[in-house]
Amino acid sequence: MFYQTKTKSAALAFLVISGIIYAIFTGYFGREMVIEAAILAILAMSLDMVAGYGGMVSLCHGAIFGLGAYIFGILTAMLGLSPFLALPIAISVTALFGFAVGGVTSKTSGIFFIMTTLAFGQMVYVIIFDARSLGGDDGMSGIPRMDLSLIGLDMNDSLTFGIFVILAAALVYLLIAAILRAGFGRSLVGLRSNETRMRALGMAIWKYKATSFAISGGIAGLAGALAAQHTMFISPSMLVWTVSGEALVVVILGGLGTLIGPAFGAVLFVFLKHEVSEFTNYWHLIVGTVLIITVVMGNKGIYGQLEHMIDNWLHKKQGRISLAKEDNHA
Amino acid sequence: MLEALGLCKTFGALRVTNDVSFSLEKGERRVILGPNGAGKTTLFNLLVGELEPTAGTVQLNGDDVTRAGVEARAQMGLARSYQKNNLFDQLTVRENLALAVATATGKSAWFRKDTLKDAEINRIIVDVAAQVALSDHLDLAVESAPYGVRRQLEVGLALATGPSVLLMDEPTSGVGPEMIKAFHTLLKTLPENLTMLIIEHDMDLALDVADRVTVLNYGEVVFEGTPDETRSSPLVEEIYLGGWDSHA
Ligand SMILES: Nc1ncnc2c1ncn2[C@@H]1O[C@H](COP(=O)(O)OP(=O)(O)OP(=O)(O)O)[C@@H](O)[C@H]1O
Ligand SMILES: [Mg+2]
Repeated sequence: MFYQTKTKSAALAFLVISGIIYAIFTGYFGREMVIEAAILAILAMSLDMVAGYGGMVSLCHGAIFGLGAYIFGILTAMLGLSPFLALPIAISVTALFGFAVGGVTSKTSGIFFIMTTLAFGQMVYVIIFDARSLGGDDGMSGIPRMDLSLIGLDMNDSLTFGIFVILAAALVYLLIAAILRAGFGRSLVGLRSNETRMRALGMAIWKYKATSFAISGGIAGLAGALAAQHTMFISPSMLVWTVSGEALVVVILGGLGTLIGPAFGAVLFVFLKHEVSEFTNYWHLIVGTVLIITVVMGNKGIYGQLEHMIDNWLHKKQGRISLAKEDNHA
Repeated sequence: MLEALGLCKTFGALRVTNDVSFSLEKGERRVILGPNGAGKTTLFNLLVGELEPTAGTVQLNGDDVTRAGVEARAQMGLARSYQKNNLFDQLTVRENLALAVATATGKSAWFRKDTLKDAEINRIIVDVAAQVALSDHLDLAVESAPYGVRRQLEVGLALATGPSVLLMDEPTSGVGPEMIKAFHTLLKTLPENLTMLIIEHDMDLALDVADRVTVLNYGEVVFEGTPDETRSSPLVEEIYLGGWDSHA
């Protein structure tokens, strides 16, 4: 089950503060990396909610991410709607899409579940790729960012936008953490642990799966809408299924079922992608190697491993006084 | 309360449940006896909805629930425990019970409040834990808990939903005489209006707690009667001495 441990709170604070400090002191390029990592963290946390806690390993989160970006792009760049209206609409549509995916797939499991989510994702990809009016393969440009000049913020400034995205990621963490701690999230973990017994206890499984997928989808859609504002340009490459694969890699790298871990995974992933690709084109090879090491080292992910070590160390230090419950098992 | 009417179930050519009918009054305790493979567990699966009958109907509180899903029947107050422990292995005993209580009380859909910090849920957890002797084991992870603890939790989960009809599939299987005695006491102290259907191999326990006994053999009801009638039935004795699995 999910517990907001002290280690998790410290990790969150560390990520937010160090992210902001880094953004302040680095140059333009560094800020771009911070923004990319924060948006990827939002996507990865949304995926961890369903995959790590609900046991629903989705291969359509990349498509939902892209769908959010496209809805936001269509509404603003094509239809001239205010980004403040476009954002909640993008979140609602992707949440609705998530609800449909979660509902339809609720009776499947394992490889069949994964393949069905993949099919849903490919469907969205094909529709957008084939739509001439949306620019097809060429994508769509001229997407505006939210205008916060009323409160004196210039979102076109990369530092302002960077801090905005970091705070958005922190809020997303707090939101998911609250849901996972509430009855709903606890039931989700029960569902993953033993679906038959949950039904026998009286739980209408499909509602919980559909609802959790809707929440997760809405958050992935938010990430997409933020990504569209970041690059101000979108293309079907955002919806390719490998984006879903990458998100999953990030989650596992950081720690499946730890929620804050995937945020670490996102930072590491973006760092490796940019820093290693300076020296070699084979940065995927490095990511792959790191992934294999984390999986072999007990499958806890980078954060999970770290938390495990810190908690062990604290245990030793405090003798046999038990800490707040760990949630390695949730 | 719970009624089976002409229930049949076949797996391919194998007829596992054959025209089984019975009716449980409110507060009635009925024990099902029968040799291995007689179709006792299958009957439970038909009653709770984990299997669909080939023919026949199931009624709960006068409603036909034959087509209702497992969760719908559970929400109507029908709970069951399993012959093989069927728990949330990665969680603690407390978390297991919390899931059962939250689901039964509708709090599993809460989006804001932490169910583990809810006073009512915790009160029920403590009550149920005391009933099934788990008070000292609440923070044990189920996967590392001794078999006896898990066996008690199996019944505890069903009890924690606050059922009106409780089905228990060999609750004492694999546990020692001490725990059988404790379970015997538990059955005696459960509220009188709780309707129970128990599959039980321990004869002394079975005949002591039962109001009525149903004996299944090859999927058919071959005997029905009071504990006294059961004791003096030559047919039951024949099946019984015919070497069915019993540690009685
Ligand atoms: N899903 C299934 N598919 C095929 N055959 C099954 C299935 N489930 C049960 N059976 C068969 O049905 C018969 C009755 O099984 P059931 O588990 O109901 O017996 P039981 O009375 O509970 O036995 P025990 O005392 O061993 O628990 C057995 O022969 C079993 O092999
Ligand atoms: Mg059985």
